Amino acid sequence: MERHRIQTPLGRAVGLGSAKSGFEHWWMERITAVALLPLGVWFAGSLIAQSGSDYRTFVAWLGAPVNTVLMVLLLITLFWHAALGFQVVIEDYVHSDAKIWALLAARFICFAAAGIGILATLGVAVEIWTAS
Amino acid sequence: MTKTDAYFIRSSDQVPQRSLFKRYPVPHNFGVSPGSRIERGRTWRAPANATRTKAFEVYRYDPDGGKNPRLDTFEVDLDACGPMVLNALIWIKNNVDPTLTFRRSCREGICGSCAMNMDGTNWLACTRYIDETDTPAKIYPLANMKIIKDLVPDLTHVLAQYEMIEPWLQTKTPTPGRERLQAPEDRDKLDGYYECILCFCCTSGCPSHWWNGDRFLGPAALLQAWRWLIDSRDEATGERLDGLEDPFRLYRCHTILNCTRTCPKGLNPGKAIAEIKKMIVDRRS
Amino acid sequence: MGSRKHERPLSPNIQIYRPQLTSVLSIANRITGVVLTGCGFILVIWLVAAASGPDAYSQFQRIVGSWPGLLLLLAATFAFFLHLCGGIRHLIWDSVRAFELKQIYASGWTVVAASLVLTLLSWVVGMIIAGQN
Repeated sequence: MERHRIQTPLGRAVGLGSAKSGFEHWWMERITAVALLPLGVWFAGSLIAQSGSDYRTFVAWLGAPVNTVLMVLLLITLFWHAALGFQVVIEDYVHSDAKIWALLAARFICFAAAGIGILATLGVAVEIWTAS
Repeated sequence: MTKTDAYFIRSSDQVPQRSLFKRYPVPHNFGVSPGSRIERGRTWRAPANATRTKAFEVYRYDPDGGKNPRLDTFEVDLDACGPMVLNALIWIKNNVDPTLTFRRSCREGICGSCAMNMDGTNWLACTRYIDETDTPAKIYPLANMKIIKDLVPDLTHVLAQYEMIEPWLQTKTPTPGRERLQAPEDRDKLDGYYECILCFCCTSGCPSHWWNGDRFLGPAALLQAWRWLIDSRDEATGERLDGLEDPFRLYRCHTILNCTRTCPKGLNPGKAIAEIKKMIVDRRS
Repeated sequence: MGSRKHERPLSPNIQIYRPQLTSVLSIANRITGVVLTGCGFILVIWLVAAASGPDAYSQFQRIVGSWPGLLLLLAATFAFFLHLCGGIRHLIWDSVRAFELKQIYASGWTVVAASLVLTLLSWVVGMIIAGQN
């Protein structure tokens, strides 16, 4: 069991003091959320419209410039929002030394996923553009 | 409006008589340290001549015995006691087990002493009707508190957090020779915030405070922080915001709103915290 | 002060606290957020499959088109709408609006109902379109 240091209640509550930050994280979570409203609705709508479609229809759709741009924006915003969200979830529940590793891993995985997704989207788009 | 409407809550004094789940589907000792596990206690039968009785399951902890907390069952003679849960506890203490320990003072919902967890939500024992409790009624201390004895929580830490927000008027202007003036409309802004009685029902009911209570200030302290931030006479607004702007102190609030749901005074800590976050936006942009 | 054998026990929290619409929708928003991040990874796999060519794409389609795949897609649709509607509710709160308890409950149940309706609607429309393709 953890032994308590001899410390006044106020000293314990103050801890390391205020970080005087936290606004940027909170604000960026809101900015990405607002951006995800139209992007999410566009994506869900497109997905429904694409129901049961085959490879050729899908790549033709993704290769249309408007959709390529929106998909890249979706990937950036989605994984940015996810990275911020995961950070909070980890900070909430992980209280061991694993916390710092989990925070790093969450960031890396989200950024990597966004990068791979963007590259794949552009790959499809370039193929469509060069073919036409 | 029916007070017992289970699913649509209009004010915090509504008691849900039915709900889909009485507790979260987690194991009973989920995340509980060995010393905090609750054991089965004893049952105290009602007096033989009692005709109308009700069972109360009460959390007990004796700091001297070296034993774990336990859950005792008391059968209360409803004809011999008053209508409130606090009356039942006093009846038990007077007639059954004088060692039962709890805080109480005003018995009219203004002192905040008898805040406890009844049937899974925090409220004041003096303003909760026995009729509105489950059968058996489940009486625990305020959730997520270090327990001194039975239903008496150690409030040292949450009071230290209250102290941290410096709940007093701070000025740099030399003290005037008369009272500090405040426009009536500025005074009105304090309504809904100054009435807090520091019962800590909200902070004790906040999941974010359960997991990070060492660093997150909790709804009670933050409601008071807002009360001082909007006091037109105060000259330390900037310093107050500096102290609050922290990933844990303020931003660990995820607007769960168990605080607003449980406040026995009908105040709105969740709204106060949203106001603080908005004030920081205003300062930044 | 006598010798205390025990550290003071912690009174129960999640083990006894009653689930309420406030906390239930909050944890639901968090769970759906995690689920949707998982869906984001699947989206990336989908895009990679599309970039890899028709064979990889049809293999991906076969997996998603299977019964477990469709069931997961249904769950993902509900998660999407719950997180979307819940997110809008949070954004409204962030502007310090609709904080009265009755508004909190009204918006909460609206989120639940809207998510169910939108999920159902999406699948009906999707199935009609899939039938035509």
